[in-house]
Amino acid sequence: MPAVTPQLEPGEPTDLELMHGIQQEDPEALSKLYDRYNGIIKALILRVVHNEAEADDLLQEIFMELWNQAKNFSAQKGKPLGWMVTLARRRAIDGLRKKQAYMRAGERLQQETEQQPDAWVHNATEEEINFSDTRVLIRKVISSLPPAQQQAIDLAFFRGMSQREIAANTNTPLGTVKTRLELGLKKIYDGLKELKDEL
Amino acid sequence: MSFDEFQNRARLYVIGALDDGEYREFEEARREFGEPAEAFITECYRLHEAFALSLRPAKSSDALKQRLMKMVRERKQGDAC
Repeated sequence: MPAVTPQLEPGEPTDLELMHGIQQEDPEALSKLYDRYNGIIKALILRVVHNEAEADDLLQEIFMELWNQAKNFSAQKGKPLGWMVTLARRRAIDGLRKKQAYMRAGERLQQETEQQPDAWVHNATEEEINFSDTRVLIRKVISSLPPAQQQAIDLAFFRGMSQREIAANTNTPLGTVKTRLELGLKKIYDGLKELKDEL
Repeated sequence: MSFDEFQNRARLYVIGALDDGEYREFEEARREFGEPAEAFITECYRLHEAFALSLRPAKSSDALKQRLMKMVRERKQGDAC
């Protein structure tokens, strides 16, 4: 699968070099990593919690955790961005659950699920930032999926819903949800591999 | 479980979508397949990066970064004492 990280300017430290800097307790390394990824990490958190103030709090907590837990990072187990995203997603979903934000899940989910298929597609253009080409290519892969598969993956990844929860919340048979997730994830995984040359 | 089935499960595993029974079977297969299984799971975590990078970056205030860096420096000083 391709590296989906942004292209760096010549002389810029790589993510891995920055992680090594953080492991050596260099605040400047954290500052650079923050500048590089705070937008992506906050977007991910916002997608989960849907609240600007909570997202800011979580963003700060996550980068603080990154600083505190940096020694646990191992390049053999993946890239720094993957580690950050995994950490951020877990914290955001935990935050969501703690606040019992699912209390109004029925009506909110109804609104959001109606928007889901193009929620991913919706942000497809704009911004001349380092990620834009990568983002467009990834979106191309994701948006090639049938809306029902996009929705199932969205609810699993960004809401932390189990297959049973997805089935219950979307009034879909469990077997159908399983199939949608399996097919959708495989297509994205395969699609990302095919992007290798383009990236 | 075949390795193909394991791969399907691994993609579900990394997004936390396995049910309890599937999770137990997955862990069993993971032990049986060993190193190739671990390598595949690591690859699957790239899906996390891809999903995150598919989102339009959100803006944060400069004040937030300043607070964070202040906390980091204080933490570092505290650790050094």
